[in-house]
Amino acid sequence: MKFGIFYEISVPRPWGPETEKTVYDRCLEQVKLADELGFDTVWAVEHHFLEEYSHCSAPELFLTACAMVTKRIRVGHGIVVCVPQFNHPIRIAERAAVLDILSGGRLEFGTGRSATWTELGGFQANPDETKKTWDEFVRVIPKMWTRERFAYQGRAFAMPERAVLPKPYQKPHPPMWVAVTSPGTELDAAERGLGSLGLTFAGFAEQEQKIAEYRRRIRVCEPVGEFVNEQVATVNFLFCHEDLAYGVATGRRLANTFNYLAAQLLTAREAYPTPAYPLPGLLPQLRQEAVGPGDPSGAPEGLCIGDPRRITEVIKRWEAIGVDQINFLLNALETVPQEEVLNSLRLFAREVMPAFKGRERLPAAAPPEGTPARTPMPV
Amino acid sequence: MPLFGVRDVTPLLADAPLMEGLDTAPETLPGVEVLQVLFEISSAAMLDLLPRALSPTIPPTVTFVFWRCREGPFGPFSLAQVRVGCRAGVRPRGFPLRAYCDAEPAATALAARWGFACRPGAVRLRRFYDRIVGTVEANGRPVLQVSLLDPQIIVGVEVQYTANMNLARVRDGQGERVRLVQVDPEYTLRRVDRGRPQLDLFVPEAWRAEGVEPVYPVSASITLADITLPRIRYIVDPDVPALQGTEKVAP
Repeated sequence: MKFGIFYEISVPRPWGPETEKTVYDRCLEQVKLADELGFDTVWAVEHHFLEEYSHCSAPELFLTACAMVTKRIRVGHGIVVCVPQFNHPIRIAERAAVLDILSGGRLEFGTGRSATWTELGGFQANPDETKKTWDEFVRVIPKMWTRERFAYQGRAFAMPERAVLPKPYQKPHPPMWVAVTSPGTELDAAERGLGSLGLTFAGFAEQEQKIAEYRRRIRVCEPVGEFVNEQVATVNFLFCHEDLAYGVATGRRLANTFNYLAAQLLTAREAYPTPAYPLPGLLPQLRQEAVGPGDPSGAPEGLCIGDPRRITEVIKRWEAIGVDQINFLLNALETVPQEEVLNSLRLFAREVMPAFKGRERLPAAAPPEGTPARTPMPV
Repeated sequence: MPLFGVRDVTPLLADAPLMEGLDTAPETLPGVEVLQVLFEISSAAMLDLLPRALSPTIPPTVTFVFWRCREGPFGPFSLAQVRVGCRAGVRPRGFPLRAYCDAEPAATALAARWGFACRPGAVRLRRFYDRIVGTVEANGRPVLQVSLLDPQIIVGVEVQYTANMNLARVRDGQGERVRLVQVDPEYTLRRVDRGRPQLDLFVPEAWRAEGVEPVYPVSASITLADITLPRIRYIVDPDVPALQGTEKVAP
């Protein structure tokens, strides 16, 4: 089991001159500590215009800063929006390669397509097209990385032959993922040999079924990249405290705050009827499961909040159903004081992590036979 | 935390219907044509449009909604509403600014049982080969015309209709109170068409919508649906954030 931390970078009102800088500084302080404590990955979303919910519109910059203040932790795009109005695919390939170089080969490359009208409308992107452009991008970007020169005539974009530079530090290229929110996207991931980067808080039973199907399908996949990245990551909240009741109460406050913010978003489906954003694949609605009925401690099923003992038991269940990595949201609207966030990370690393570390640590991905060997991860 | 409306609902009460009790039995309207046209609106007045219980969507939106009901318990009628998109706590909702209805029995029932603030008006929903046009005339003058251009049938889609938060005076065991009445009909969709939205005419003052400035067309859909108007389950104090001010009145 690997552990990551996951950033939306939620900034509370009122927005004074220092507010956003303070939140970013705190995030970097958490990342630095997480690196020292042995967390595996720091992920950052790409969101635009999502007031308070996420002020993380330039994740490549935030992740570069993370890489500069850390030594070991991997840096993950969770995700890059693969919609041409947001990001040209050449720029995606270039920026990701630079980040991989600057981080010394620590990039995890997550892909996705945005789920809110707030963002899609802001960029005047057509919701009907996003899945198609995502599919196109994930097929061409690894070719831009691995071929000396690349030319393309496609549906969303075209380019004459050029050398897309620089090339990533990891060879043949960084591990690729796709954000899984809508039902069925885990199958899209499997069929393309991509890691499944779960961004919703579905319960154990639902996740177990999805993971089983993912594992089954990825065995016969046609990878879009040079290797298959068979990994299942899921997202969770983390608040770990010696006192169970306090840990649960604070964790619930964190989850409730996050869910409340998520529910304010104008989803693509609410604004624009399209089969491309089917019911019930709405990120806010699924995230509401995070505040559903709980166990006797009062914590909703599967959430990593409470004391180390409870959190350990929860993670064991996630591990048992096949999750490879859990990525933790640590805060929302700064509802948890920074010192408590840092202490939660320390306690988790001291009391929970040892139960899962020290076992065999899988590499992020293994290339299929016949493909060039990758540079070993600097762990 | 999210923004909240700042609207004092007192001036709106002149229009607000009186509901004598909340024990409303569900009622099904078969084969209703539902035209919904959604626009983003200028954010300048978004907080002024909503009561303090509700939060605006980001970006703020307005929906123009037409129902054409050819048969059913209230007889044939057409209804048009202008609603501001909002959130009640974590739930997506719409706050109706005003409604017009062309049939008195339906208007009376919708007001008395579900809190729709209906004014009499000439509401028409017309189908052309290349467009569907909704128009409203009130006091002899046109006050709204919206169109769905180039309708195309789409499959595998559920149009997400958000519940109304109807402002009403509610009389129950606790006396008469001003409340937002949550009306969340069930829609059984038989057909969905989507097209391009177009706003041809909008007179905000005819809809108590001063400050609503549609600036960006988002979507237009027309569906054929059986609509079941529900039992009233929740009412909300308009002056208190919905998470604190929601009261359950039926299971």
